[in-house]
Amino acid sequence: MTRRKFLAYLGRFAVLFAMVGQALAMLRSIVPNVVYEPPKKFKIGYPDDFSEGITFLSKHRLFVIREGNTFWTISAVCTHLGCTVNLVTFPKPKKVKVGKKEFTEQWEFHCPCHGSKFYGEGTPFAGPAPRPLPYYPLDIAPDGQLIVDTSREVKSDFRFVLNV
Amino acid sequence: MEKLSEWWKKLTWTFAPSSKVEATKAVTKNFILHWFPARVTYRSMSWSYSWWLGTVSFSLFLILTITGIILMFLYIPSVERAYWTIKDLQHAVSFGWFLRNMHRWAAHLMVFFVTLHMVRVFFTGAFKNGGNPDANRPVNWAVGMFLLVFTLLLSYTGYLLPWDQLALWAITIGANIAKSVPVMGSYLHFLLAGGTRIDQNTLIRFYALHVIVLPALLLVLVSYHMWRVRKDGGLAVSEQYKMQAKKEGKRLVPDDYTTFAIPALIRRAFLVFLISLGAVMLLSIISNAPLEEPADPSWTPNPAKAPWYFLWLQELLAITTIRTPWFTINGGFVGGVVIPGILFLWGLIVPFIDKSPNEATGVWFHPSRRLQNWTFGIIMLILAFLTIFAMYFRGPSWNIYWPWAWPPIPHLF
Repeated sequence: MTRRKFLAYLGRFAVLFAMVGQALAMLRSIVPNVVYEPPKKFKIGYPDDFSEGITFLSKHRLFVIREGNTFWTISAVCTHLGCTVNLVTFPKPKKVKVGKKEFTEQWEFHCPCHGSKFYGEGTPFAGPAPRPLPYYPLDIAPDGQLIVDTSREVKSDFRFVLNV
Repeated sequence: MEKLSEWWKKLTWTFAPSSKVEATKAVTKNFILHWFPARVTYRSMSWSYSWWLGTVSFSLFLILTITGIILMFLYIPSVERAYWTIKDLQHAVSFGWFLRNMHRWAAHLMVFFVTLHMVRVFFTGAFKNGGNPDANRPVNWAVGMFLLVFTLLLSYTGYLLPWDQLALWAITIGANIAKSVPVMGSYLHFLLAGGTRIDQNTLIRFYALHVIVLPALLLVLVSYHMWRVRKDGGLAVSEQYKMQAKKEGKRLVPDDYTTFAIPALIRRAFLVFLISLGAVMLLSIISNAPLEEPADPSWTPNPAKAPWYFLWLQELLAITTIRTPWFTINGGFVGGVVIPGILFLWGLIVPFIDKSPNEATGVWFHPSRRLQNWTFGIIMLILAFLTIFAMYFRGPSWNIYWPWAWPPIPHLF
């Protein structure tokens, strides 16, 4: 390679580099740095607002379940492609077997988009859903309201017990 | 009238040709001929060979561009107001209903005719060069595959804009297909949605893609597509003239198999455009574009069905989740990315692996291409079957029902 040729290549490379760099800089601007979204951790109301059994919070796409002083939450967002699952309640409790565990359920979750079906505790048993419906941690805020954190998932045995 | 034609002549010609040679040379001096070829083969204009499906598709694109520009004056891409501007189109704007119906019908027809165009080109072996060293038809087929994808993307981004229930759940599913991609899924979803949830950022992104990015890309590609057809010597069937002449040991004289594009080609092209326009107008008068309830993230319509051209995809998404004791792959990735990706790649390379003889160029169902035609035909039939199955045999909760035996649908719970 001669010096003249080297400099010619260098010049071409510099032009290309500058153009690609500018293009990338412009494209980078459409990746948001700040999003103005509702917080992932939010209050859902006082424990006594919830009746025994399951409640659907349509605003948060979340199910809250109460058994006496015990509370837990299951997401209503299908793990397949994000539709809101429908709550299907049974007039009589039904016995089902999930893996080796057997339990009675009073409701199931059915997704209208692609037919995924989940048992009452969130495990999928039909359709394309690849994972169980996620559980989110529940806690009590200083003002006495229940507070949910949807930014992290917890295991399905998570239960929040209210101290009375 | 005479004055008008003189005026037109002054606008489009710089001189009046006195002989055929002169006229042929005039190509570069005439606007229309600069766009169309100077001479066109008779068989290129045959109705029964090509059915003019490409011209129909482009006519529909023109109708979409014109109605789309007017719609841009009337539509507001905001999650609070988008739905109500569409309602206004239907009830408050003069001829708003007609404008929206035309845009929607032309869009549906364009998907349909672009697909038919692809089917026609495949079954006639029109992506083959037929021994013509100057032609590059396989590349033009590949360009056509991209045009099909852009057409589908335009339809998809378009039906999101009314921000009704169909729109919201279609975006949700589309964005989650991106999310189901391994490793980079969450990032793709974030990029597509402009955040972690489907909201204003998402709508404005799809709006920008729909009104400028995708149409611009499509226009650039379709211009190349047409230029390519012209430079390849017309439709593939034109190669048959050369093969015929070679077989009979004759010399081909242009007058034997070609004629001037003006008026033969432009008259026919204009006729096809008028018929397309007429069909779109008629459909727009007799059938209204649907509009569902305003977008509501808290509940999904049951069943939530995609438009007909995506139903095969929806059916695939629902049935392709792979389960093994060790891992599970989301059907969103298998049916939404892998299978369509394989089909698209196969489509791109198929003209390069088609080793049929030159004689099969530009002939409907040539016997030497039996295997190719069956393969392609069966793929198309499977897609059609999936579409019909999803359309008529999938009911509430995506369960299988007879079309006449749907149970009553619970509204919310």
